[in-house]
Amino acid sequence: MKKVLEISLGVVTSVGGFLEVGSLTTAVQAGAAFHFQLIWAIVLGTICIIFLVEMAGRFAAVSHHTIADGIRERFGFNAFLWPLLAVLLVNLLVMSAEIGGVAIALELATGIGFQWWALLVALLAWVFLWKGTFGFIEKGVSILGLVTLCFVVGAVMLKPGWGQVAAGAIPTVPNHDAANYWFMAVSILGASISPYLFMFYSSGAIEDRWDESYLGANRAIAAMGMSFGGTISVSVLIVAALVLSPHGIDQVDDYHQLPLILIPIFGFWGFVLFIASLGIACFGAVLEVGLQQAYLMAQGFGWTWGEDQKPRDNPGFSTVYTVALFLSALPIAAGLDPLKLTIFSMALTAASLPLSVIPFLFLMNDKRYVGKHRNGMVSNAAVIFVIALGFVLAIVAIPLQIFGGT
Amino acid sequence: MDLVRDILDKQVIDREQVKIGKVDGLVAELRPGKPPRIVAIELGSIALARRLGARPGRWMAGLSARLGGKRHGEPHRIAWNKVRDIGIDIEFDIDVRETAIFDWQNWLRDHVVGRIPGAG
Repeated sequence: MKKVLEISLGVVTSVGGFLEVGSLTTAVQAGAAFHFQLIWAIVLGTICIIFLVEMAGRFAAVSHHTIADGIRERFGFNAFLWPLLAVLLVNLLVMSAEIGGVAIALELATGIGFQWWALLVALLAWVFLWKGTFGFIEKGVSILGLVTLCFVVGAVMLKPGWGQVAAGAIPTVPNHDAANYWFMAVSILGASISPYLFMFYSSGAIEDRWDESYLGANRAIAAMGMSFGGTISVSVLIVAALVLSPHGIDQVDDYHQLPLILIPIFGFWGFVLFIASLGIACFGAVLEVGLQQAYLMAQGFGWTWGEDQKPRDNPGFSTVYTVALFLSALPIAAGLDPLKLTIFSMALTAASLPLSVIPFLFLMNDKRYVGKHRNGMVSNAAVIFVIALGFVLAIVAIPLQIFGGT
Repeated sequence: MDLVRDILDKQVIDREQVKIGKVDGLVAELRPGKPPRIVAIELGSIALARRLGARPGRWMAGLSARLGGKRHGEPHRIAWNKVRDIGIDIEFDIDVRETAIFDWQNWLRDHVVGRIPGAG
């Protein structure tokens, strides 16, 4: 019974961690520009992240190491430095984008410009991390995140042609704007496969003291939670495709267009639901990425860490998330367009994947860490696919940003 | 046992199970006619910077000495004979509070973190 509860909470948590400003805006843009044609990218990204999250949980439960610990210990400090710096930088950009997402929600709700909210959002997030415990952050925010299910309800109410939806799950070549199409695909994959997500998950498994008895629960949480999150993303895309195109909007380049998508379905409440979804989902992500920054530094350098300890007993750890939150709020406070930053940071996330995923692949095949629970053929094939994808994306993401980026 | 594989970069904890750092460096003693022997491990930013090269090592040592005083101009060392247990972590029979390893964390706590409301 306890495990069942654990699994359901885990699923809710995964939903909270999955949908954030990146998946929301990329899904809306993809739906507006290419109708259902890019659903395959969300499906593919979801399958990849299921494998990575399952591996991260298995690694932590069996080896009692977080991924950061494992990479440093197995490959040494000099090799660890590159994934460390890359993930810290990408996280910083992603966190900026998430703060921007909350700030936009507040702008839409109040009419006061987003840049005025950035530092306040960072301060609020800081108070949560400063005073909160891991369970509080993990479960509290995630349960609120269930509000994003309104997109699923919306998608069903719009009665899309399910045959067309299914057809979108198969990759096809676009009939217009090829560069933009592939750039959108890259951004969707980056939004789904985030290093912070699976690294955070392994830290959480250590915080929750998982052992080998959690392997089954871990598998269920990874598969169900991420599929659930992917379903919400696909719903966002369906809603955007069906609502924006008839209004002649095929390019979402202004976030003021975003809340339109739920109004035809829910009326005024659609506006409220959209703002709540955007605000809560992004705020949850700010907390998770902020914590992940502190986890990564503390685990990489061997300091004490743990969200359940008082900041006084954990000065290094709490300083990292404090500084990270402040730094991430600055670009938004300076007026940088959150939408552009989001798309850019998602593409960069995808491009940076090989740096953290390649060492992780070696760890998952190392008997000294995972013993008989090491990766099988299928998991390895999945990870090698993610790495190959990352390499392709790393090479094409920047040119696509120039030629196809919005 | 393979030192680089099994010792270097492992998590170090003290006898109170406090995480105090990673094994950032190893100190070996060369003995004429006998195999070298590990006498201590090193922790901290200077040991790490030295792994990147001699020059980063010198810079970090200079910086640490300027920020923390002369006793921070050298990496922190823990004698190998204090080792108590090697498992997932390496436990040493020391108390981190009696060393200078956490001086910077203590400084942060006393001057910054501890002064912010709700820190403790």
